[in-house]
Amino acid sequence: MTRLARRAGIAGAVALVRRAGSVGALALVFALTPGLAHAHLVDTRLGDFYSGALHPLTDFEQVLPWLALAVLAAFQGPRTARWVVLAFPLALAAGGALSLVLPPPPFAPVAGVTLVALTGLAVAAQLRLPLAALLVLAVGLGLLDGYQNGAAMVATTDRFLFLSGVTVIGYAFVTLALGCAIAFLAGVGGWRPIALRAAGSWVAAVGIMVLGLHLVSRGVG
Amino acid sequence: MKSHSPNPALVLAGLLAMIPLSPALAHTGTGTQIGLESGFLHPLSGADHIIAMVAVGLWGAQLGNPAIWVLPITFPLVMAVGGLLGVMGIDLPFVELMIALSGIALGAMVALNIRPPLWVAATIVGVFAIFHGYAHGKELPDAADAVAFAVGFVVATGMLHLLGILIGVAVRWEAGAKAVRACGAAIGCLGVYFLLGAIGIIE
Repeated sequence: MTRLARRAGIAGAVALVRRAGSVGALALVFALTPGLAHAHLVDTRLGDFYSGALHPLTDFEQVLPWLALAVLAAFQGPRTARWVVLAFPLALAAGGALSLVLPPPPFAPVAGVTLVALTGLAVAAQLRLPLAALLVLAVGLGLLDGYQNGAAMVATTDRFLFLSGVTVIGYAFVTLALGCAIAFLAGVGGWRPIALRAAGSWVAAVGIMVLGLHLVSRGVG
Repeated sequence: MKSHSPNPALVLAGLLAMIPLSPALAHTGTGTQIGLESGFLHPLSGADHIIAMVAVGLWGAQLGNPAIWVLPITFPLVMAVGGLLGVMGIDLPFVELMIALSGIALGAMVALNIRPPLWVAATIVGVFAIFHGYAHGKELPDAADAVAFAVGFVVATGMLHLLGILIGVAVRWEAGAKAVRACGAAIGCLGVYFLLGAIGIIE
């Protein structure tokens, strides 16, 4: 009797799982059906936060050195690298705040591209840096990019929301990239640091060429 | 005996998910997107670039450690110097000729399994990298987004190196080593074709 009941219970469980699979598949149909999402009217409340969060991500001049900074920090080991997670977003916020009170420095565009080349070269060379030098690089990059993002705000932009978005995305990006790089380097295989160094050489190559273009344009102008 | 008939609902879900319900006409492209796309396609639109880049990877893999990583890391950096020359508008002679010659030289190195000292190999690759970078760099000032264009063509170049390295890993096996050398010979022959085109012997 008990065995029969147990069998019936198992059969019931199997049927339940099958039914759940069917329901899940139908849910998948609705989930994958393309449609327009009109519900999220973020512009009415938090639009400037999202604008701030997306603004740096639309510019390779910011994304590339952020990525290179995270990989460079990962090369220094987790104990040193963790300070970048704290210093970089704070510098971004400070840079954004500075954009509200200071006029744009004339060297900002060239400095931004120079940092792309420098961080890329440092990764390509797998440079070992003392903590202070790494923090100077992170803070310098954060201040500059924070300023450039802040300078993109217009009169109607909610400054607090926009700069919060920039700071949060800076924190999220660098933390994720750093975590991924550390996990990647911790894996088996001597090719892993080489792959990251090759990626660094790509970043450096982009930085060198665009720096040349900036200098030539300024010379012509 | 258990039957393994597929779940009908799952099949239906898969089929429906594959049907494009509305055309995506929204993406007309922005400066960054167009720049990235044109930059990425630039090395891929010229077979002379493709064969030379793949040959760099093949040769690096054939030479083994440390060339397998020194060559692909140094190539983009030296290529950037060539790109700078192009950006600055400096007139570099024989660009097409040198790009065609790069296919011949690098293909011959792989086909003949020539193993020079690392600095010699790096110098050979570096000289050709300048001409390849120059050809890409000339387009940079006209790009919709210069940074995106540079990212596109550097990534495409790196991917071609990686392709060469992945093919070149076959040198571990005897038949694979022969196949890699055959690839080198084919690249060299294509290089001759492009050279003849560059000097105007063939159309």
